[in-house]
Amino acid sequence: MLGQLFVAGVVHGLVIGLAALAVTLVFGIARFPNAAAGDTMTLGAYAGFAAHGATGSLAVAGGASVLAAAAASLAGYLLVFRPLARRPVAALLVAAIGVAFLIRAGLGLAFGHQQRVYQVPLAWPIEVMGLRISPMDLTLAGVALAALAVAFLVLYATPIGRQMRAVADDPDLARVSGIRPFRVMVALWLLAGAAAGIAGMMLGIKTVVSPEMGWESLLPAFAAAILGGIGSPVGAVAAGLVLGIAQEVSTPVVGFTYKIALAFAVLLAVLLVRPRGLFGRVEAVR
Amino acid sequence: MSLLIRDVSRSFGGFRALDRVSLEMPADGLLGVIGPNGAGKSTLFSVVSGFIPADAGTVSLDGRTLDRLGPAARARLGLVRTFQVPREFHHLTVRENLMAAAPGQSGENLLGLFFRPGRVAAEEALTAAAAQDVMDFLRLAPVAGLPAGRLSGGQKKLLELGRALMAKPRLILLDEPFAGVNAVLVQEIAARITELNARGIGFLIIEHDLQALSRLVPRLAVMDRGRVLAAGAPAEVLADARVREAYLGGVVA
Repeated sequence: MLGQLFVAGVVHGLVIGLAALAVTLVFGIARFPNAAAGDTMTLGAYAGFAAHGATGSLAVAGGASVLAAAAASLAGYLLVFRPLARRPVAALLVAAIGVAFLIRAGLGLAFGHQQRVYQVPLAWPIEVMGLRISPMDLTLAGVALAALAVAFLVLYATPIGRQMRAVADDPDLARVSGIRPFRVMVALWLLAGAAAGIAGMMLGIKTVVSPEMGWESLLPAFAAAILGGIGSPVGAVAAGLVLGIAQEVSTPVVGFTYKIALAFAVLLAVLLVRPRGLFGRVEAVR
Repeated sequence: MSLLIRDVSRSFGGFRALDRVSLEMPADGLLGVIGPNGAGKSTLFSVVSGFIPADAGTVSLDGRTLDRLGPAARARLGLVRTFQVPREFHHLTVRENLMAAAPGQSGENLLGLFFRPGRVAAEEALTAAAAQDVMDFLRLAPVAGLPAGRLSGGQKKLLELGRALMAKPRLILLDEPFAGVNAVLVQEIAARITELNARGIGFLIIEHDLQALSRLVPRLAVMDRGRVLAAGAPAEVLADARVREAYLGGVVA
């Protein structure tokens, strides 16, 4: 039973981890809490749902969710966040909430407010070390790991990734070093959008697709980003896994309805006890 | 082929940090700028590097007006600056700090990354080799893999110089390269500057360490209260009565 919940927690944790990665990247580089990350997930879920409905292919659905979410994320930057750059964080946060509502309303208009379900074939679970794991969970875990691998390769093994991390450390120094801020921002929003899109599709397949799904995932995503140490990509993913597993494993104790409250509890505990998170480093004050 | 600063003024609130400052130097020359705190030296650097706009006046490099260019664009023209308090990308390794400052990488662009991975990889190899050369030159190779935030103050100064070198500079603005650096490293840094200058890289240097600076540069400009008081050979400038009064207070013989 516990093992079963653990497996479910890993898959759920990967979803949270991807969403938290999107949140933490934007926080580290663009320097504001992107409240639209959840609804970018929702957009990815719907794009994947539509593509899956049309083709029946999970690969096509994944591609569609990545493309749609990345495009929406970039559009949000170009149309809203870029013009507001250098404004106070509060202004950007409110703008992000506005973008979130806009995406949600658009999806509600286009797809209606009823819940949708990905029509994925049922398959017998396979036994691995005494655990029954559904093939879909394995596929989704594989998809998430592949997405994370690409994201981390871009961040840690490419010139643009290096520049993104440089901007995260010191934006002014990055400018005098000849790093073009606009390119870094475009890459950031595409990457964050793509991560949110994949997370949305996974969540849609695991649960149901509805315009509110992403908004409800925002809190666990922020909790994981903070638990992992804000701005730390590795921390965000690790904390996402911890949170996902904790939520699932605690279900027998706290009940299905209240497992979401666990994210709140973790968030509060981290903020009170260790504000810089698990992987966070003390930042120099300038 | 010169850096031309003409009638540059800049105020902050009511305070005139720069008051019609004019300076000229060959782009491959060595010019030192001295002056008491608040003389406007760092503001001059910020204006020349494009960090803050001037209220009036113009800055040009090789006859090209720079006034409308931001710091990144000026850096790509070969005009790069360092900071008085050394700054670094503290989570990036020393090697990554240097590689991040290399200009014109096609891997700066996600499309290039996915559609021309071969070209990006080839460029990365070149950039890595350039970073290695710079680390060898500045003796930073032993700390190549260390996060830059863990370097000593002197090593950070060297890293600043290294980052400037990675930008294929024509002219480097050095803000107090000797401040907080031990005597041995001062010699070391001065020797590197002389060597780089012999290779054709120009330096405009702000420095408080008058002795070290006078040995290093053939020309010195003295600033006080936002103006250039005098400019010329160090001995000549330091003998100037106005300079002695404003800056040295007659203390230094």
